[in-house]
Amino acid sequence: MSSLSASSLHKTNEIAVSVRDVSLTYSTTIDRRPTFKVRAKALMRGKKQTRVVNALRNVNLDVEYGHVLGVIGANGAGKSSLMRCIAGILPPTQGRIEVYGSVSTLLALGVGFNPSMSGRDNVYLGGLAAGMTRDEINGHFDEIAAFSELGDAIDAPMRTYSSGMYARLAFSVAATVRPDILIIDEALSTGDAKFKEKSLNRVKELRSDDRALILVSHAMQTLRETCNDVVWLDKGKVISRGEPNQVIDAYQEFLQVGKSAAIDEDV
Amino acid sequence: MSTPLQVYEPFKAGLPKLGKYWKSLWSRRTFIAEHSKSELREQHYDSVFGQMWLVINPLLLSGVYFILIVIIGGTTDTTRYVHLTGTLFLFYLVSNSLSSGVKSVTSGQRLILNTAFPRIMLPLSSVVIALFKFLPTVIVFIVIKAVVGSPFTIQMLWALPILLITILLALGLAITISCINVYFRDIASFLPYATRTLLYLSPILYEASTLKPGLLFLEYVNPLFPILDSWSSALVYGQSPEISSVLAGLGWATGIFFFGTYFFLSREREFAVRL
Repeated sequence: MSSLSASSLHKTNEIAVSVRDVSLTYSTTIDRRPTFKVRAKALMRGKKQTRVVNALRNVNLDVEYGHVLGVIGANGAGKSSLMRCIAGILPPTQGRIEVYGSVSTLLALGVGFNPSMSGRDNVYLGGLAAGMTRDEINGHFDEIAAFSELGDAIDAPMRTYSSGMYARLAFSVAATVRPDILIIDEALSTGDAKFKEKSLNRVKELRSDDRALILVSHAMQTLRETCNDVVWLDKGKVISRGEPNQVIDAYQEFLQVGKSAAIDEDV
Repeated sequence: MSTPLQVYEPFKAGLPKLGKYWKSLWSRRTFIAEHSKSELREQHYDSVFGQMWLVINPLLLSGVYFILIVIIGGTTDTTRYVHLTGTLFLFYLVSNSLSSGVKSVTSGQRLILNTAFPRIMLPLSSVVIALFKFLPTVIVFIVIKAVVGSPFTIQMLWALPILLITILLALGLAITISCINVYFRDIASFLPYATRTLLYLSPILYEASTLKPGLLFLEYVNPLFPILDSWSSALVYGQSPEISSVLAGLGWATGIFFFGTYFFLSREREFAVRL
């Protein structure tokens, strides 16, 4: 999948991701835990056991190399579903997605981690889960450990970590992967204010001419500062796309909350 | 060097491109090993006592059956005891693969929702763990066999292909049941009863040759029957197993493996919305 460093083959404005007329519809069980018992009961009562979710509707989107695209929208707007489609985690039910380059996702922190193991072991586990090789992790271990600021705690079991320490290590591992296309979903809200700033700076470092970044966030100020373009999704549809300030202002007006400090801050 | 292009389009039921899938699975082999190791460490198998437990557990298990067969049952035939331990240990390779495989996909929810990888890696990892737990029982078995004076012959090497067939069967079963569990989460609750029934229907507490004619159909309907019978012939009696039994076991294992893999691969792309 992803490589540690981008192949440096891409030129600015070359297409990195092309999303054409993509829709995503799926049926999900109404009951949280689908079981034989629930199905049998529903069948006997003639009740519907599933509901249909239209997560994305005819989405068209291009992301170019050298650009940072911000994605905004209310909860349930389809932001995460779109990211999962681009990353190949969820196949679309209509349309076509073309991805020109290696993709790495930072959709959740600590994916693949095992809390009963030490931070050190989890650096390997998380790195391998993210598609890195053992040699690549060895080569970057010191950098990851230093960035996480865990000190000796790196050898303690992760179940003894505070949520901030957990998130710091997870972000440090994830931020080491340097693919052609990086998708970050709400991953900047980690640790204390100092670490938040540090991780935001890391994301800014990752901006380069031969890389495309897609940033999903509710942190409007971050998006205003970081992105070239912002796309606003609502109920699975693209409402608008364009210059960050314009789109964000329109979105905030839509939410009828204005540019309150609470919205502009990282959440 | 050209830019790698990935195309994601709707899929109907069917298999993904197998070459690409295998390549992706192979590139994740280090992760499979590390993931399995971490699961074992979580169960403390990396500590001295944990590793001792890997040997003590099968010893205790065989001790229970020793009490049942030799002491309470009053049999003087030590070969029967060797047969019981040998086949029981192999049975537990399959049973452990099933019990750890059944929730392998559902417990890998975070990985599935956030990373693109071949999902079959998860039940595969469960079988790796079961195999790791099985290996110390081989040593226990050899010690028991030596103590009771059971013969060691060159025909015992038949155990190797039979073990490979068993691993293939365990893989097929783990892959199938992990996929079923995505749609019916209570399958894990039925599993202990199913494996216990399979234990009694397999030639473990008895030998295939002692089966009443009316029950011989078990030989054909139970995939483990020919495998355990061949395993016992090779390891316990030091004889070549019947080729028909080995082939029957291979047929079952291959059939279940291909069925399970097809079922899993044709479904795995919707796991992310089912979890």
